[in-house]
Amino acid sequence: MIKSIIFCLLLVPTLSKAQTDWVKWDAVEVSYKISNASSKNIITQKQNTGSGIISFLRNIYGFFISELDGDNCPFYPSCSHFFVQAISESGMIKGPLMFADRFIRDLNFFKGKNSYPIHRIGKFYDPVSNYTLNEQMIEIALSGNGGD
Amino acid sequence: MNRIFYYSNKLILLLIMPMFITYGDILCQDSLKELDLFSYKSRLKFGNHLYLEKDYLRASYEFREYLKYEDNDTIRFKFANCFYNIGRYLEAADNFKSIFYNSTIQDESRLAYYKSLFFSGDFNLFRNSSRNEIYLPEKYLSEVNRLYFTSFLMDNSVLPDTANFISAFPDSNKNDIRNFYIQKKFPQYKSPTTAALLSSVIPGLGKIYVGNITDGLTSFLVTGVLTFLAIDNFNHKHSFRGWLFTGLGAFFYAGNIYGSAAAAQIFNAGVKFNFDNNVKLYFEKRNYFLPENNL
Repeated sequence: MIKSIIFCLLLVPTLSKAQTDWVKWDAVEVSYKISNASSKNIITQKQNTGSGIISFLRNIYGFFISELDGDNCPFYPSCSHFFVQAISESGMIKGPLMFADRFIRDLNFFKGKNSYPIHRIGKFYDPVSNYTLNEQMIEIALSGNGGD
Repeated sequence: MNRIFYYSNKLILLLIMPMFITYGDILCQDSLKELDLFSYKSRLKFGNHLYLEKDYLRASYEFREYLKYEDNDTIRFKFANCFYNIGRYLEAADNFKSIFYNSTIQDESRLAYYKSLFFSGDFNLFRNSSRNEIYLPEKYLSEVNRLYFTSFLMDNSVLPDTANFISAFPDSNKNDIRNFYIQKKFPQYKSPTTAALLSSVIPGLGKIYVGNITDGLTSFLVTGVLTFLAIDNFNHKHSFRGWLFTGLGAFFYAGNIYGSAAAAQIFNAGVKFNFDNNVKLYFEKRNYFLPENNL
């Protein structure tokens, strides 16, 4: 019984939100500017084992999932970029914690437009600097203070 | 006959025209010599024109040249005010000092000196000057006093006594000032430690405490589902899956504790930002309770 409830809970959002051939999501404005190669792979600039592993995982995710699935993350920077930035700026302990928090916030169906300021590319602006536990680095925009 | 008359007219015109051009130029040059654009009086006129046009930087150059030849309190004031208007407040304060004595506008210049110190953002310097009663304008003591108390709302200094603070402002604004005072003294901050502790007891509770209710509920659901899956798999002897879900659950549990503390900090930064913004807008709208500068 419980397993079937969990199955249904997983199935409903998958069916309601997944991209299909017959009902596609709204078109995203595509920029044809050549992207900066360094922004695609931030961590490889630092040559150590931990960052190398994270960079490798991120590249695997980017190649097999992100590139195929499209630009679907509602946040800017996207969750994968947030992960890479968090680790490069805050290290291997704080970085994953920041990512775990971001991942849960991304799962929230009711994030709403008032929770986050809207970036000029039309996504919720949620920079890494706000989550380093350093008050001086917090960026506050006029559209809200992060509350629901 | 007519033809001869016609050509003679043309000839005369040809002779006269160069004369007009030559002498006209000479006449103009004479009038320009009389005007002398670079005399100190012309510089004053041009400086005043630029000042009225709010081109303060160029006006200051003209006033500086003028003041080399003639001393004038009003121009000294305008010269200093040029720096004030272009945001070079410390330079303005220095120049206002030159009219502190033996002048009919010494009180105005002393008030302008205090205004310059205030808007320079160096509130400690402003308060020290005010507290030590250096160059206080007798005519504008209440204005400087108001600026003195306003400065406490704009930085992180310890607030002075309530009664003195509020009594410095007009009766019609006392309620607003009292509200600002209370907000500054007792800001509605949320403790990051409390948020983290609450999330460690019940996942997501810290986020709800901060006001991010849906984030809190999502955290609770995610952690709860992962914990259930871990227990269920251990009960069914699936130890690999059990440990996998345990690891994921612990990861999100720890992330939620961290995120709750971060959310509390973001909330506090928002409260501070809104307060600073409201104070700034309130006082700007009322010109910081200062008289209009008529010079």
